[in-house]
Amino acid sequence: MTQRFRTASGGRIDRNRVLRFRFDGRAYEGHPGDTLASALLANGVRLVGRSFKLHRPRGIFSAGTEEPNALAELRSGARREPNTRMTMAELYDGLEAASQNRFPSLRFDLLSLGALAAPVLSAGFYYKTFMWPASFWEKVYEPLIRRAAGLGRAAREPDPDQYETMHAHCDVLVVGAGPAGLAAARVAGAGGARVILCEQDFELGGGLLMEPEHAAWRDETVSALQSMAEVTILPRTTVFGYYDHNVLGAVERVADHVAAPLPNTPRQRYWTIRAKTVVLATGAHERLIAFPGNDRPGVMLAGAAQAYATRFGVKAGARALLFANNDAAYDSLFALQDAGVAIAGAVDPRPESAGASAARARGISVWADSEIAGTSGGTALHGAHVRRRGGAGTDTAVVADLLCVSGGINPAVHLASQSRTPLRWNEALATYVPGVPVLAQHSAGAAAGVTGIAEAAADGAKAGAAALGAAAPAIPLPTGTTADARVLPIWEVKARGKAFVDIQDDVTTDDIRLAHREGYKHIEHAKRYTTHTMGTDQGKTGGIVGAAVLAEARGERVQDVGLPTFRPFATPVTWGAIAGAHVGKHFAPTRRTALHEWHVRNGAEFMDAGQWLRPAYYPIPTDTDAWESVLREARAVRRAVGICDVSTLGKIDVQGRDAATFLDRLYTNTFSTLAVGRARYGLMLREDGIVFDDGTTSRLAEDRFFVTTTTVNAAAVMAHMEFHLQTAWPDLDVQLASVTDQWAAMSIAGPKTRDTIARIVDGIDLSNGAFPFMAVGDGTVQGRPVRVFRISFSGEMAYEIATPSGYAEQVWNAVLAAGREFGITPYGVEALGLLRIEKGHVAGSELNGQTTAADLGLARMLKKRGDFIGRTLAQRAGLTDTGRPTLVGLRAARRDEKLRAGAHLVEPGSTTSHGWITSVTRAVEIEGWIGLAMLRGGAQRIGTRMHATFPLKGEVVEVEIVSPYFVDPENQRVRA
Amino acid sequence: MSAPEPVSPLARHLTAGRYGAPGDAPVYISERQCVLVQLFARKGRGDDVASAMQAGFDLQLPSPGNAASAGEITALWIQPDAWMLVAPRGSEGALAARIKAACGDAGSVVDQTHGRTVLHISGRRAAWVLAKLCRVDLHPSAFGPGRVAVTPVADLACVLHHSDAAPGFDLIVFSSYAVSFLESLTHAALETGYDVA
Repeated sequence: MTQRFRTASGGRIDRNRVLRFRFDGRAYEGHPGDTLASALLANGVRLVGRSFKLHRPRGIFSAGTEEPNALAELRSGARREPNTRMTMAELYDGLEAASQNRFPSLRFDLLSLGALAAPVLSAGFYYKTFMWPASFWEKVYEPLIRRAAGLGRAAREPDPDQYETMHAHCDVLVVGAGPAGLAAARVAGAGGARVILCEQDFELGGGLLMEPEHAAWRDETVSALQSMAEVTILPRTTVFGYYDHNVLGAVERVADHVAAPLPNTPRQRYWTIRAKTVVLATGAHERLIAFPGNDRPGVMLAGAAQAYATRFGVKAGARALLFANNDAAYDSLFALQDAGVAIAGAVDPRPESAGASAARARGISVWADSEIAGTSGGTALHGAHVRRRGGAGTDTAVVADLLCVSGGINPAVHLASQSRTPLRWNEALATYVPGVPVLAQHSAGAAAGVTGIAEAAADGAKAGAAALGAAAPAIPLPTGTTADARVLPIWEVKARGKAFVDIQDDVTTDDIRLAHREGYKHIEHAKRYTTHTMGTDQGKTGGIVGAAVLAEARGERVQDVGLPTFRPFATPVTWGAIAGAHVGKHFAPTRRTALHEWHVRNGAEFMDAGQWLRPAYYPIPTDTDAWESVLREARAVRRAVGICDVSTLGKIDVQGRDAATFLDRLYTNTFSTLAVGRARYGLMLREDGIVFDDGTTSRLAEDRFFVTTTTVNAAAVMAHMEFHLQTAWPDLDVQLASVTDQWAAMSIAGPKTRDTIARIVDGIDLSNGAFPFMAVGDGTVQGRPVRVFRISFSGEMAYEIATPSGYAEQVWNAVLAAGREFGITPYGVEALGLLRIEKGHVAGSELNGQTTAADLGLARMLKKRGDFIGRTLAQRAGLTDTGRPTLVGLRAARRDEKLRAGAHLVEPGSTTSHGWITSVTRAVEIEGWIGLAMLRGGAQRIGTRMHATFPLKGEVVEVEIVSPYFVDPENQRVRA
Repeated sequence: MSAPEPVSPLARHLTAGRYGAPGDAPVYISERQCVLVQLFARKGRGDDVASAMQAGFDLQLPSPGNAASAGEITALWIQPDAWMLVAPRGSEGALAARIKAACGDAGSVVDQTHGRTVLHISGRRAAWVLAKLCRVDLHPSAFGPGRVAVTPVADLACVLHHSDAAPGFDLIVFSSYAVSFLESLTHAALETGYDVA
C-alpha cells in the first residue's frame, strides 16, 4: 500500500529507505524517522483504538507522550507489550502492532453498543450499580468490568529480554532537549559542569524538530554537546519521577526501537540520577477544548498536526479546520497549508485576532467569535458544526477530515510539582507554571510558560547559567519572531453531546458536574469519582479543562480549584525496567557455605534457609523416597556417627574489656561467670519479653567471646547488639565482628564421634575427662587450624569442628575418612530437625515471636539477679499467666498415622482449641510420628490423649501428650 | 607436610577467557588472594592503636573514606575506629597475630581472610559496570584512587576500594555471597564484555 498521505519532500524522515510493518495484521510501509503513529497516518489509517469505557472509535490525537487514544500492543509472543503509545513508538522494520480494547474488530466493535446505554454509564456508575451482593464484586462484577474496560493484554510468557539499573551522578541534570534544554546543557557543559541531558524522543530538539528554519542551530548545538567529555546525552530516556534530595528516576529505551535487543544489550535501563541541580526543560502539552464529539478520529491537537506535516512529512488529513483560542495555533494551520493540506478554515472564539488576520491574508476563511458545537462522522471525521459563540444563530456545517484543536498550552509541570515546587497561575496563558522551587531546580522554556524558540532557548541559557553557579560562557542562540501564545480562556463548548475532558478515561464535562452535584467537590475527590486524569496520559491535555469545569460548577475560578497532586510516574514505565536484573533466581542473592560444592557433588537436595542454600538430605540410589534418606541419616547419628554442615549458624566475635558485661545484659543468663575454654547455652529476649534467639556462646579469652545465633536470626542479632551498643550503652568497650563466613562449621554427632575425630584432631586431648561436655579448644586437623566445641543439638555425644572456611572441604573429608569404618553418614537439615525434635530442643517453629521462656520450659534460664533485655516486660501479667500454652511432646496414638504441623489440639468431640502442633517428624528413637506442641495446661495433660485436628484437610488424629524429651531425658549421652 | 592451601569459594566459578560482548573496551575481572584482618581500636584507645600501627608497621591508619598503604599492607577505613587490613597471602593467622601483638589491649583483631572474598575489576569502563550495581559516585572528581566506600554493591554489603588509577577497584564481600556477587558483576559486564585472567 502506498503512503498516500506522505508529502513529496520535507521532514526528518529518510524517504530512500522503506520500513515494513504490520498493524492489526495488515502490511504497511514507513520510513526511518517515523513513529508508528506518523507511519499509520501516512498510510491513511485514522481509526486506531476504542475507548476505555464507552468503546468509542478513537484516532491519533497527539504526536507525543500525552497521547490518550493511540495505544497499541507492540510486538508479539513473549515480547508483547500492551498500552504502548503509538506516538512514542519508533518505527522499525518488522514492527508488529495490534489495536486494543475492541471485540471482535476495531471497525465493528460489539461492545460499542454499550455507548447506546451511555447515559447510564456516568461517573460513579460502577460504584452505584455493582453494590449488591457484596460477594459478587470479586467473582462476577470485577472480571466483567475488566473485560469490557480492558487496556492491552500483557504477555503470558517470561520476558526474554534483559533489563538493567544504572546509578548516575551529575552537577546539572537537564530534562528535555528542546531549545531550552539544549541551551541549558550547553551553557552548563561549556562552563565545566558534569551534565546529563535526558530526552524522551529518539531525536534531540523538541519543538525545533518541526521548525526547519532552526535546524542549523539545533545541529550545531547538538554537535557542540557531543564534543564535551563531561556531557552525557541520553536520548529515548524519559524522566518519570522526581524524589527528595534531587533524586530522579528515568527509563532509557535502549532497544525498543529494534525487533529484539542485540546480544548482551538490555532492552531498557532504569536510571537513578542524583543531581546537584536540575533544569526542567520539559516543554508543554497543547490543551484540548471540551466540545461535543471532540474525541472523534480526525480531531487532533493543532501542534501535533503541524509536527506530522513538518517533522514527519505526513498530512494528517486532506482538509483541515482549526479551532483555536490563541494566535500561535494559526502557525500550525499555516504549516499544514504549506504542506499541501486543503484548509477548510479557522474557528476562533475571539472576536478579532492577529491570527485571524494573518489567516485571511493567506486566503483562509475565519469564523470569528465562533465555536465548534459538534462533529460528524462515524469512525472518521466528516465535518464540524460551527456556531456563534454562546450558541446564537444557526450552525454552519463545515466539511473537514482533520480538526486541529488548540486551547492553549499546559506547561509540563509534572516533575516540578512532584518535587514540591508550588504551582503559580499564569493569567496570560490561563495555566499553571512552576513557582519558586523547594530544591535546587530551575524550570525553563515552555515548561516555565516561556513560549517561542528564541525565547525558550534564551531562558534555557539563563537556567543553565544559574545551575552552573559560576560565570557562564556565552553560547550562540537562535533568533526569530514568536507567535503570541496568549489565550482567551475558553474550556468548554456547551452543546448537545459528549464533550470529553479526559479522552482516555471517557470522562465528560457532565461527569465532572455530576461529581460536583453528588458532593465530590474537591478536585481530588472529583478525580477519584470520575477517574479524570487517571489514565496512562495522566490528563496531560485535558486535566486543567476538567478542573475548569469543576470550578464553574463551584462558582469559583480555576486557579482556586487547582489540579490534583502530581505523583510519579509522570509517564508509564514497564515492569521489566522496574524489576531490572532481579528476576528468576536473581530475585535475591544466594548464600552458599564453603562446603556447597561438596554437597552438590554428593547429590544433596537443597532447601532455602533465609538466603542460604542448605542440604536437606542426601539421597542414595537405594532410598525409595525422601523419608528413607532422612531416617537413614538420623539412624546413623543415633547408632554410630553422622556429619552435618552447620556453617550457616550466625557467628559473632565479641571483644573488649566489657564483653562479658555486655553479654550479661543481652542474655537472660550469665556469661561473666563462664570460664575461658567453655561454652554455655544462652537465651535472648526481645525488649517486649518474648524469646528472640538462642545459641551457644564460648569464652575464648577474658575479653573475647564467640557467640552463635540461629541461622535465620544472625543479621537480626548482630543489629540488635549494634543498636544497644550505639544507643543504650555507648560507654561499654565492646567490638563486634561478624565471623559467620570466616568459619565453616560441621557437627559430628553419634556414639562413635570421639572415636572418629580423635584420630585426626591434633593438639587437644579429647578424652571425656580432659574435654567434657561444653568444652572448647583450639587444635589442628592435618595442619589446618580448627576450633572444637563439645556441644550437641541431637542429644547424642557430639562435637562441632569449626575451621577457616577455605579449609572446610579438606577438614570435612578428613572427618569422613576417619569415620568411614563406623559408617559415618552426612546428614542434612531434615535429619537435623528430626533429631532435635526427638531431643525436645526448640527451634524456629517454637521461637515464633509469641513464646516466652516459661512457655518453652526455659524459665530456669532467667537469672534471678541483674538486669537483662526483656526482663521487665516479661513480667507482664499476660506473659506470666500460668494458663499460657507450654511446650509438650506428642506421639500419634496409632503408629501409622501422620501428624501435621499447624494442627489444633482439641478434646475428643470438641472444637475448642487448647493449643497447636509446632513441629512434627517421623522418629527413629521410637516408632511412628512424634511432634512438639504448645498446649494450655500442658504439664497437667501429660499422659492424656487428645485429638489433633486439621480442618483444612479434614484430618483428625489421636495423639498421646508426652514429655517433649523423647531421647535421653537425663542428658547422659551428651556427656558420655 | 606442605602448608595447606585454602580453597576460594570462586575456585570453580572464575574460568579464564573472554565473555560477553566483543569490543575494544572490556573490563577485567579477577580474584585477589589476600590476607584480611579487621582491626578495631578499643574504646578511647584510637591514638594508642594508631601509634602501635605506626611503630610496628610504619602504617598511618587512614581517615574515613580513605585507604593508606605501607609496604605490603593496605589499611581501609571501614567504620568509626575500625579498619580492614589487606596484605598478600602469608601463613595462616600470622598477620592477625602480629597486629594483635603490636596493639595489645588497645585493639581488637579479627582474622577475616576466609570470611571475605576480594574481587578486582579494572578497565576503562569499570566504573560504568559498577554504576549498574552501586550508588556511589565513582567519577574521578568525587572518588578516585585511594578512596574507600562501605556500601551495598549488587545489593550486598561491600567494601569498595579504588585501588589503582587504571582504573581498578577492589570489591570485598562476604565469602558466602561471593558466587552470587560474581554472577551479578559478570551480568553487569556482559554489555562491555569482560576478560577473566
